[in-house]
Amino acid sequence: MKLELDILNIKDVQFAEKTTISDVVLYINRQELQELLEKDKRFSKVDIELVHPGESCRLVQVFDVTEPRAKMGGTGENFPGILGRLKTAGEGRTRVLRGAAVVTIDYNSGASGLVIDISGPGADIGIYGKLQNIILLCRPVDGIARPDYQNALRIAGLKAAVYLAEAAKDLRADEIEVYNIGPLAEAGNGMEHLPRVAYVYQIHALQLSAEQPPNEPIFYGDNVAKLLPTIVHPNEVLDGAITRGYFCQGQETYSIQNHPIVRELYNRHGKELCFVGVVITVAQSTEPERERSAAMAAKLVKSVLGADGAILTKIGGGAPHIDLAQTCELCEELGVKTAVIVADQSTDGTSDGALIFNTPQADAIVNVGGFCRTFTLPPVERVVGGPLILDGNRPAEGEVKLMANRLGGPVSQIGALKVTEREF
Amino acid sequence: MGRGLRIVHYLNQFFGGIGGEDKAMLGPEIKDGAVGPGIAVQNTLKDRGEIVATVICGDNYIAERIDEATQEVIQLLTPYQPDVVITGPAFNAGRYGVACGAVCQAVQEKLGIPAVTGMYEENPGVDLYRRHLYIVKTADSARGMTEAVSKMVNLACKLATDQEIGKPDEEGYIPRGILKEEFSDRTAAQRVVDMLLAKLQGKPFETELHLPEFSRIRPPAALKTLSSSKIALATDGGLVPKGNPDKIEMSAATKYGRYTIKGADRLDPKDYEVVHVGYDSSLVSRDPHRLVPLDVMRDLEKEAVIGKVCESFYSTTGVATTLENSRKIGQGMAEQLKSEGVDGVILTST
Repeated sequence: MKLELDILNIKDVQFAEKTTISDVVLYINRQELQELLEKDKRFSKVDIELVHPGESCRLVQVFDVTEPRAKMGGTGENFPGILGRLKTAGEGRTRVLRGAAVVTIDYNSGASGLVIDISGPGADIGIYGKLQNIILLCRPVDGIARPDYQNALRIAGLKAAVYLAEAAKDLRADEIEVYNIGPLAEAGNGMEHLPRVAYVYQIHALQLSAEQPPNEPIFYGDNVAKLLPTIVHPNEVLDGAITRGYFCQGQETYSIQNHPIVRELYNRHGKELCFVGVVITVAQSTEPERERSAAMAAKLVKSVLGADGAILTKIGGGAPHIDLAQTCELCEELGVKTAVIVADQSTDGTSDGALIFNTPQADAIVNVGGFCRTFTLPPVERVVGGPLILDGNRPAEGEVKLMANRLGGPVSQIGALKVTEREF
Repeated sequence: MGRGLRIVHYLNQFFGGIGGEDKAMLGPEIKDGAVGPGIAVQNTLKDRGEIVATVICGDNYIAERIDEATQEVIQLLTPYQPDVVITGPAFNAGRYGVACGAVCQAVQEKLGIPAVTGMYEENPGVDLYRRHLYIVKTADSARGMTEAVSKMVNLACKLATDQEIGKPDEEGYIPRGILKEEFSDRTAAQRVVDMLLAKLQGKPFETELHLPEFSRIRPPAALKTLSSSKIALATDGGLVPKGNPDKIEMSAATKYGRYTIKGADRLDPKDYEVVHVGYDSSLVSRDPHRLVPLDVMRDLEKEAVIGKVCESFYSTTGVATTLENSRKIGQGMAEQLKSEGVDGVILTST
C-alpha cells in the first residue's frame, strides 16, 4: 500500500475573495465556506474565525481539531465511511495543508468540551498554539438531539478540511512524504535480520458510553462499540480511516492524521525494525469483553503478524489502563516484548497513583505527563467559541485553573510531545 | 558570619559503640558531641556545622515501642536546639532503618526542622518512609560509609539552609514518589520505540514509571456457614440516595457513605442516583440492583441461604481516588462493618 502526502506549508491564514493558497498563505472565502457548512440543516448558523499562532486567545468548548487534507486525482475517498463513500484509506495521493488546523466548537458540550490556549503555558507544551487555526462556529438548531449535533460537527470539521485542501489541488507540493509498505504478510521480506514490531492501538474507550454508545463515526464511520481487535495497514491510520471519538481524552483527529507512533515506526522501517502492522482495539467496560479483546489482540500480534515486539498505547482515562495492561501481559506471555505509553493518572501528583495496574510484565513504560495536573492559564484578550463561561462559572477570558484532561494539546496519549515526568 | 549548623546525630547501639545484639534492648541515651560514624560526619561537615550531641538507642527497644521510643528520643535531643537531625546511615539493617526513618519523621513533624537518613534501597525502612523523608541511597553495608556520609551531610546542609534540592540521582537520595513535569529531548513516540528496541536487543533501558507496590492483604478464611452469617453490600460504583447527602465526590473521593436499607425489599430507582465520572452508569440509574444487588440478597435471605442482610449498604466513588484515601475509606468501612457484626461483605466494583 503506497500513500503519498503532498504537503503544502501554510504560514498564515487570511479571509479573501477566493479560497486559494499563494506563497504559504491560505486565503479563505469566508462566505463560501459558511454557506457550504450551512447546507447542513442541523445548524442554525455557521461562522468562521481565524486565530493565529501566539495570539492571546482561548478556544472554548472545542469538539475536535482536523488537519486540512483532500484526496488528489481520483485516488480515493476523503474520510471514507464518514464523509466519502466506503473505500479503503491509505492508498494514492493526499494533499495536506501542513501548519493549518480546522477547529470545531461544540456549543452543547458543557463541561466536556476541550479548552485550547493559543499562547501561554497551555500552548507551550502542545502543538495547536503553533498552527494557523480556522475555527468553525456551528450553532445547533433548537431542540436538536445531542448525537445529531455531534454528528453534524464531525461532518462539518471534515468537510471544511477537505474544502480547504482542495483549494490547493493545482499547486506543486513543497514536499512529498511517501508511506509505502506492501502487503503486511510480505512486510518482512528482505528484513529477516530486523525485529518485527507491531503497534497495538487502542483507538477508543467505551468506559463512559458502554450502555448506549452514540452512533459516532470512529473507524470508517463505525462507532466501534462491537469492534473486536482488527489488523489495519499503517497507511489507513494516517489517511482518514480513524477519527476521534466524541469523548476521547488526549487524542484529536489531527494527531491521528499525523500519528506519531505510526510515523516513527515508518521512519525506522527497514533500518532498525520491520513494521509489521497495526492492531486496533477498543477499551472495554466489562471484564469478559476486556479479556476477549486482550486475548485477540495478543493473538493477532503473535500468531498472525508474527511480531517479536509490540508498542501499546491507550486512550481515555483510568479504566483503559487495565485493557492496556492485560494485553501487555498476554503479549509477554506469548513471548512478544512490549513497551507502552501511559499518561500519569494520579490526582495527588504522587507515583503511587500514576498507574492503575501493577502487571509485572509492564516493565517498559513511557510517561506522557499527568492527566490530572492543574494548569493555571493567564487571562486572554480574545475568546473564541462556546458560551463565555468555564467550570465554576468563571469568565473564559480571565485566569482559569484547569486540569490537563480538560485541555486540548498538553497530553498526547499517542506520543506526539516531549513532556514527561521525573520522580523526585 | 553566621554560626555553623547545630546537628544531632542518631545511632543504634552497635554504631554507637555500646554493643551488639546483647545490647539491643537498651533505651535511648544522649551524649555530647560526635560518636562512631559521627566522626566521619563531622569531618565532612568541616566548619559548616557541628554535631552537638548523639542519641544512641537499642534496635529492639525502639522497634518494639516505636511511638513511645521516638518520643523519648525527641525529648532527649530537643534541649540541644538542633537545626537539622541526621540518623544512621542504616545500610541494610532492617530494625535500624525503621528506627532512623521514624526518628526523622518525628523530628520533622514535632520540631519542624529537617532530618536526613541513609539506607540501602531494600531496607524495609525505605518503603515506610521514603515519601516523607530524604533517604540517601547507600551500599548494603558499612563499606559504603564515606560515600553515604558525604551525600547525607550535603543534603542536611542544603535542607537546613533552605537551598533547593536537586534531582534524586544528582543528590543521591531515593525518589520520594513526587512526580514533576520535565521535558525530554525526544517525543514520547521516539522514546517508546527506543525503549522497545533496547528491550528486544537485551540492552538496558529505563522505564519512566515504576509499578505501584500494593501491600498484600491475605484474604480471610471462607465463611463456614452462610446460613447464619450477616452479609453486607459495599460498592465503589457511587450509588447514593437522591441528593447525595454525604456529598461524596464524583471523582477522587475522600469519603464513603453508609445508607440504611432496613426493611426495604428493593431499591427504588426514584430514591437513588449515581455519583461517578468513570463509567457509563445509565444502567445502574435505571436499576440500582445491578450495582447493589439487594433484590438477590433478599431472595437468598428468604431462602435461608444467608442468615441476614446487613441493615445498611456502604458506598463510595472509585475513580481517580488516591491510594491514601482508598486505604482510609477501606479501613473506615472495615471498622464500621466489624462493629455492625457483619460476617461477610460482597464488594461490587465498576
